[in-house]
Amino acid sequence: MIALLRTEWSKTLRRPRTYVTIGFVVVIPAIIAFALWANPPEPGRGEGFFYAATQTGLLFPAAVLRVVSRLVLLVVIALFAGDAIAGEANTGNLRYQLLRPIPRGRLLAAKLTIALGLALITTVALMLTATIAGGIAFGFGPLRVPAFFVDQSAGELLLHSAMATGFVTWSLASVVAFGFMVSTMTDSPGGATAAAVGFGITSQILEAIDSLGSVRDYLPLRYFDAWTGLFFSNRVPDDVYSGLLQPIPFIVVFCGVAWWWFRRKDVLS
Amino acid sequence: MAPVVEVRHLTKRYSAEVLAVDDLGFTVDAGDVCGLLGPNGAGKTTTLRMLLGLIHPTSGDSRLFDTPVRPGLPELARVGSLIEGSAFVPYLSGITNLRLWWEAAGTRWSEAAVDDALAIAGLGTAVERKVKTYSHGMKQRLGIARALLANPDVLVLDEPTTGLDPQEIREVRRLVLRLAERGVTVLLSSHLLAEVEQTCSHLVVMDRGKLVAAGTVAELMGDSDRSVFVEVDDNDAARRVLATVAGVTSVEDEQDGLVLGLDGIDRPALVALLVHAGIGVRTVTVRRRLEDAFIGLVGEEHAR
Repeated sequence: MIALLRTEWSKTLRRPRTYVTIGFVVVIPAIIAFALWANPPEPGRGEGFFYAATQTGLLFPAAVLRVVSRLVLLVVIALFAGDAIAGEANTGNLRYQLLRPIPRGRLLAAKLTIALGLALITTVALMLTATIAGGIAFGFGPLRVPAFFVDQSAGELLLHSAMATGFVTWSLASVVAFGFMVSTMTDSPGGATAAAVGFGITSQILEAIDSLGSVRDYLPLRYFDAWTGLFFSNRVPDDVYSGLLQPIPFIVVFCGVAWWWFRRKDVLS
Repeated sequence: MAPVVEVRHLTKRYSAEVLAVDDLGFTVDAGDVCGLLGPNGAGKTTTLRMLLGLIHPTSGDSRLFDTPVRPGLPELARVGSLIEGSAFVPYLSGITNLRLWWEAAGTRWSEAAVDDALAIAGLGTAVERKVKTYSHGMKQRLGIARALLANPDVLVLDEPTTGLDPQEIREVRRLVLRLAERGVTVLLSSHLLAEVEQTCSHLVVMDRGKLVAAGTVAELMGDSDRSVFVEVDDNDAARRVLATVAGVTSVEDEQDGLVLGLDGIDRPALVALLVHAGIGVRTVTVRRRLEDAFIGLVGEEHAR
């Protein structure tokens, strides 16, 4: 398993697309930081997060994560997940890996690890760039908004950014698991990616329909934005804990189906 | 000793309409070079994929080294394979492709027969280049190198010469013969009679998923004088004469000539006999049973 993980990482890290995709993601905070620095928002207008971010660059990653996680990050992570097995099937490499022979379950575990690892790396890269770009543009100071009883030191802001990074990645793990499952069923990586994006967006759309009421509690991305509370309160919001539990059943079910399916799959590619 | 490859009652049904392989059975003994011959769509690739654990059979079973085949069977490490063309990671060099593929199973690169495999592939310094710059023939050769990395006891080659130019086809043929001399068992599929005839010791012929014939090339190609096709100027007269000859066991009409079964009489004697009886002989050719059968299956233009 370790040998397989090593060779799979080696392939991933030498793949131009890995760098292009992550590079594309990390350019976004730099662009937003520059735009915001050049055109500072007025108090009380527009996105509150971005106004607050101009007070300290250490809140800037949170502002970026809030806008980027909903679509751009979702798409990129879906891309890595959708490509996992279908990408190998598409090029015909899947059959040669299985003939090495690498047991199917082991290949699946390695590919899932890579997809989740890439999701984490992408989010971390995004937040690191945002911290640096935000800090350069707006300083590395604490956040103090006495009117709302907000008082976070620079260290607390960094800690909360790190927690937000982990939380968002973990929330998106349900999307990864869904994309991964579809990836075992098709030879088209694009199809699997599209399915995962559709899965994430559908959850967000349903989440926005208030009349669905408690049905929404069962949506995979129900607590997707819960991490924002970390920056405005000195205690961890309950929704963050719920959000940590939310992806688990989805991951278990989707990975279970992927495993069941892939073991029975006729490799025709 | 048990056969290296054994297939029994192997059946694969993809859907109600599509029966790809139908109750197929054959064996390949150690050291044989066995050709799996059949027209396109005969089920050759499906058979080979089932044999390698890539496709689950609907029923029946296959065995490698006397072990039932299942996905991920450890014995597959003793099998080198090239299935429906080679596939590589395009952005990696040829040698990196081989190395990562080899090491993925936890084996050391130093254990691989790298020099040997690369010498056979004959890619030279091109192995350092990215695979996406390779021609089809180069990829195919790299694929053969990959199949040989483990010094396999069995080589499974599915249509290995597809897309290659005549020079490369000759090289593949020589390679197969060289490996066979080393004692490697080879199972190779082809839709070309000429290809298997020149490289194989044994043949398994299939069509529409079913076994048509199996045996040694000599048996199936029938180079003995047991059956001949003659064209004469007067079929009726010839038939009357031949009816009285003890060595002729059967006479059948076919197109413009006659197919004769012979036993104890050779071709020169037969010609002398006919000429002596005043019958003009245009041609006498040895009837190659398999060739006729195969041409019947796939049509004249595809058989050679």
